[in-house]
Amino acid sequence: MRSALQQPFKTAVLVLVWGWLLFLVFTPNLLVVGASVMTRDPGSFISLPITLDAYRQLLNPLYLDVFLHSLYMASMTTLVCLVIGYPFAWALSKVPRQRQVLLIFLLIVPFWTNSLVRTYALKLMLATNGLLNNALMSLGLIEEPLKLLYSEGAVIIGLVYLLLPFMILPLYSVFEDLREDLLRASHDLGAGHFATFVHVIVPLTLPGVLAGVMLVLLPAMGLFFVPDILGGSRNLLVGNVIKNQFLDARNWPFGAAASIVLTLTMAFLMFAHRLSKRRIGEEGA
Amino acid sequence: MKKIALAGLLAVSLTGCGGSEEPEVLNLYNWSEYMPQEVLDRFTEETGIQVVYTTYDSNEAMYARLKLLDDSAAYDLAVPSTYYVSKMRQEDLLMPIDRSKIDGFDNLDPELVDLDVDPDNKYSVPYLWGTTGLAVDTADVEGEVTAWEDLWDERFEGRVMLTNDMREVFHVGLRVLGYSGNSTNPEEIEAAYEKLTELMPSVRTFNSDAPRMPYLEGETDVGMIWNGEAVMAQDTMPALEYVYPEEGIIAWLDSFVIPKNAKNPEAAHKFINFVLKPEISALISEEIGYATPNLAARDLLPEEVANNRASYPNATDMVNAEFQTDIGDEALQVYAKYWEMLKSGQ
Repeated sequence: MRSALQQPFKTAVLVLVWGWLLFLVFTPNLLVVGASVMTRDPGSFISLPITLDAYRQLLNPLYLDVFLHSLYMASMTTLVCLVIGYPFAWALSKVPRQRQVLLIFLLIVPFWTNSLVRTYALKLMLATNGLLNNALMSLGLIEEPLKLLYSEGAVIIGLVYLLLPFMILPLYSVFEDLREDLLRASHDLGAGHFATFVHVIVPLTLPGVLAGVMLVLLPAMGLFFVPDILGGSRNLLVGNVIKNQFLDARNWPFGAAASIVLTLTMAFLMFAHRLSKRRIGEEGA
Repeated sequence: MKKIALAGLLAVSLTGCGGSEEPEVLNLYNWSEYMPQEVLDRFTEETGIQVVYTTYDSNEAMYARLKLLDDSAAYDLAVPSTYYVSKMRQEDLLMPIDRSKIDGFDNLDPELVDLDVDPDNKYSVPYLWGTTGLAVDTADVEGEVTAWEDLWDERFEGRVMLTNDMREVFHVGLRVLGYSGNSTNPEEIEAAYEKLTELMPSVRTFNSDAPRMPYLEGETDVGMIWNGEAVMAQDTMPALEYVYPEEGIIAWLDSFVIPKNAKNPEAAHKFINFVLKPEISALISEEIGYATPNLAARDLLPEEVANNRASYPNATDMVNAEFQTDIGDEALQVYAKYWEMLKSGQ
């Protein structure tokens, strides 16, 4: 009690954080778990008795396919983000301090606009008679407009556009911590650029890569409006199935069960991330 | 969805500049692009009631929101299609409409009132009616398109648009096979699904947000469209033709209903009354392109609107036409299952 009084600020922060977690994270999730084991009811959405039917329904191969397709789209998104984000983050850490602040600021500016609005903007650019096609045609690079919209490619472009900063920021932070003397030591000991990259830079930036992958891969599976708008509602993600079950089929227990499985997948990946981080730590020591 | 975001912004800005005196508010929940802004402005001008316009793009979404927000009474007025009127009425979600506050009810087309979905219109007042038919971009499509079946033609590979509406898409599949678009027979629904899977390679996109856009954007050349959207599209793209398919058009009627817990039913009645004024109904039909059930308004319509076959079909166009009905929860689950299989390309 005395210690709490001595640190009123600390107590207030702890109460706030725990209260936040309890009411805005724990309780809603508990409601979702509750809904997932109830019986579907056409009148009031959910009712007793308690059953595992919703989870049994998930075993339908249809949903496994949707999940795998989703995972594929999310993995492609992550890969593209990594390929673009890795050199970008490295370059970012190399520019002078002041310009770094400006560049990071520019990276974050798009977040001021709602992602839904930005997705519609992207649609205008990719459309058959949209900005991109018009520009390419007036430059004489193509004869016929490219059919970009309403394809897997368009969905991946949209996901990469929305999620790239989540890859760059953790990578930037590990590149920031990358000590110059280790690289110099590597060169002094006779390692070339490639060997230094493989044996020094990659292992040291791996935690950032893993963090970035998690921050991109998991949200990518749930952003249902991107396939709706850019994919012509044709490339279903897990998020689309959950939304359809809640809104169109009015099958709440099933929608809830699907979102729990998605959450558990995330938890599993995070757990794996932790394990690998510990392993990396041990190797480093 | 874009519209919802914009409506949200509008709502925020409205509350933001509200000032000391709180203006009276009507929360209208309607389909996207289903009410001209001018009508809302004139209503506010006449009554001083602010309209907060929120939109949805499917009956299902509207129903779920209303049901969930039942207690918080977020909306004063909604516009479900016929089969949802009967469903919501039976589930006791609606408030009876006080006919003494509505002047123009007798002007409504006798064929569109006192339907089975709501005997004697105790809970609903018809707003607009329309059809879902074929859109054909005659500038890019060679040859005739006269039937739903024509969409299966190989020449349309990658050029077809369907509405993002489970019931409507299956309606097409069922009609092509000669079944009722309101079938509840699982075998018929499965057959329609099999038929629709053959169409999928041709389908470029599903759209129920603004079904005219993929045609205007040049993404698709043929497919489904709502007649009002076709009329709107013809303003910028005269080559877009609205075709009544041989197998029969899909018809619907959307009606005003007042949710049971509405905060401001008084304003809701005023708004229905306002819309039923012949000049306002005529303005709406002219702008939005759907047919008004208000016969007094029809006389006020400009010649080219009243004679536009897309908005006001003749008797031959309506041969084989089918109104959508409530199919019940069991059949809905069957549809939902096949809809997801169709979308995920099984």
